[in-house]
Amino acid sequence: MMLSDGDWLALWVGVKLAVVTTLILLVVCTPLAWWLARRRLPGQALLEALLALPLVLPPSVLGFYLLIGLGPSGPGGWLAQWGGARSLAFSFTGLVIGSLVYSLPFVLQPLKNAFAAIEPRQLDMAAVSGARPMDRFFSLVIPQARHGYASAVILGIAHTLGEFGVVLMIGGSLAGETRVASVALYEHVEAGDYASAHRLAAVLLVASVLMLWALFRWQRKQNTGVMP
Amino acid sequence: MSLAFSLSGQVGSCRLQAQAQLAANGVTVLFGPSGSGKSTLLRMLAGLQDCDGEIRFGDQLWQTDDVTLPPWQRPLGMMFQEPTLFRHLSVRGNLDYVVKRRGAAWDLDSVVSQARIEDLLGRSVETLSGGEAQRVALARALLAGPQLLLLDEPLSALDHGHKQELLKMISDIARKVPVIYVTHDLDELLTLSRQVWLMEQGRIVARGKAHEELARLDGPLAQRGDATALLYGELGDYDNRDHLQAVTVAQQTFWLPAAQPVSGEEPVRLRIAARDVSLCRQAPQDSSILNIHPVQVAALREVGPGQAVVQLALGDQRLLARISSRSARELEVFPGARLYAQVKAVALG
Repeated sequence: MMLSDGDWLALWVGVKLAVVTTLILLVVCTPLAWWLARRRLPGQALLEALLALPLVLPPSVLGFYLLIGLGPSGPGGWLAQWGGARSLAFSFTGLVIGSLVYSLPFVLQPLKNAFAAIEPRQLDMAAVSGARPMDRFFSLVIPQARHGYASAVILGIAHTLGEFGVVLMIGGSLAGETRVASVALYEHVEAGDYASAHRLAAVLLVASVLMLWALFRWQRKQNTGVMP
Repeated sequence: MSLAFSLSGQVGSCRLQAQAQLAANGVTVLFGPSGSGKSTLLRMLAGLQDCDGEIRFGDQLWQTDDVTLPPWQRPLGMMFQEPTLFRHLSVRGNLDYVVKRRGAAWDLDSVVSQARIEDLLGRSVETLSGGEAQRVALARALLAGPQLLLLDEPLSALDHGHKQELLKMISDIARKVPVIYVTHDLDELLTLSRQVWLMEQGRIVARGKAHEELARLDGPLAQRGDATALLYGELGDYDNRDHLQAVTVAQQTFWLPAAQPVSGEEPVRLRIAARDVSLCRQAPQDSSILNIHPVQVAALREVGPGQAVVQLALGDQRLLARISSRSARELEVFPGARLYAQVKAVALG
């Protein structure tokens, strides 16, 4: 099956976006998920609702607000000036920012569930065994939450790869910069090039199935599923 | 090393206020009903539970009004009711976790063989039985090189055989390290303890030698249905024909069934349950009971409807008898009365 150079490029941009987004989300969500799993503070329910919003909000709504926020008159535009640009919209950086918001719950939830499943006694025992808090986090919490991390990585990548509405609103379709596979597929259909659309769609379908299959297979083997 | 503390704190609806000192080695049993605050006190001593007050250990200040030493800096080892092995590590990994952080004050190999876990080292902790898991947990607590061991009902989930085995290990360890052992099981108290702290409703209501607290009629232990007295004695002859071992307590000879001669450190300890002791005015001549001894009534107390506990002096040691109030009246049991105690069952240890 042959894809055009443009389609390969679109796939590459999508993969790059997914990997960068997921890596940043892992770093951001680790302390956030720990805090949400372990504390009970006023306003926490509202915060969790806001963080879960991308699960239910139409992507175009999210994309619209991001477009405003990242544009020349939003905070994104102000930030862009430092980099010598007018706006963060229609740039790869803008796409990353949008994807961070859009995919956050898919990384946050598995981590939160995994952290919540760790018994407080395990942490107490580590403390009386001589482990300081940071040491405990790396030597006990992260290894015991490894299923959660696996879920977070796969869901984060898969969900970012599948992004369409947000990308269309804030990314447009600049080849090599913001044109990802799902947008390229849309353009093939618009142009009536069903053969190319079929090939690209098949690649996305197979990749998604493979990722989820790997996730479920691994979880089955570990015998403890941590899904959002 | 000596421990001294004066602590108070609120956990949920329960208020805890306790002070005590702990001097030498040996096991101190923290005994009391469920919900009396025993585990909470232990967690406070470990630094796992916030509280007010002061904890001093030797010349170290673990807690004052200004400073709290975090748990990872207190030189202690701990066991919980559940083994709480680190689930992501093997047995060996669990031991190494502590050694790496505390330094190996105790030799790994000797601790491993003492806890009899040589064959378990490569196993995943998920595959261990309850007894095996607690032996690993004990070894891990020892490898912290503790100057104080805090054990929170570590044997409550185990069957009798495993329990006895671990109690023996803990007794041996207590020769080297002071142990505070939380339990509400009288059998564990009897097996382990030379010292006992009794806890009720968040307070330590009595502290003392186990055998004295057990025999005190105004304390909670003598009022229990399973009240038991501890006597100390010297080993005497062994009767080969009838397989009986003599133990001398206050110049009186107790005969114990034993398949072979008993050896061990003296004084040996005898356990006699109050419900296994009956009283009579004259020494019966034709009783099947082997152990009949002259005693003097030291004190008497009604416990529950129609029941009384009698404290009996045997030399300077104390025996308990649980009898009906009617018998107490008809036998004219009063302090100073001279009677005979018939002891139906005696256990060693």
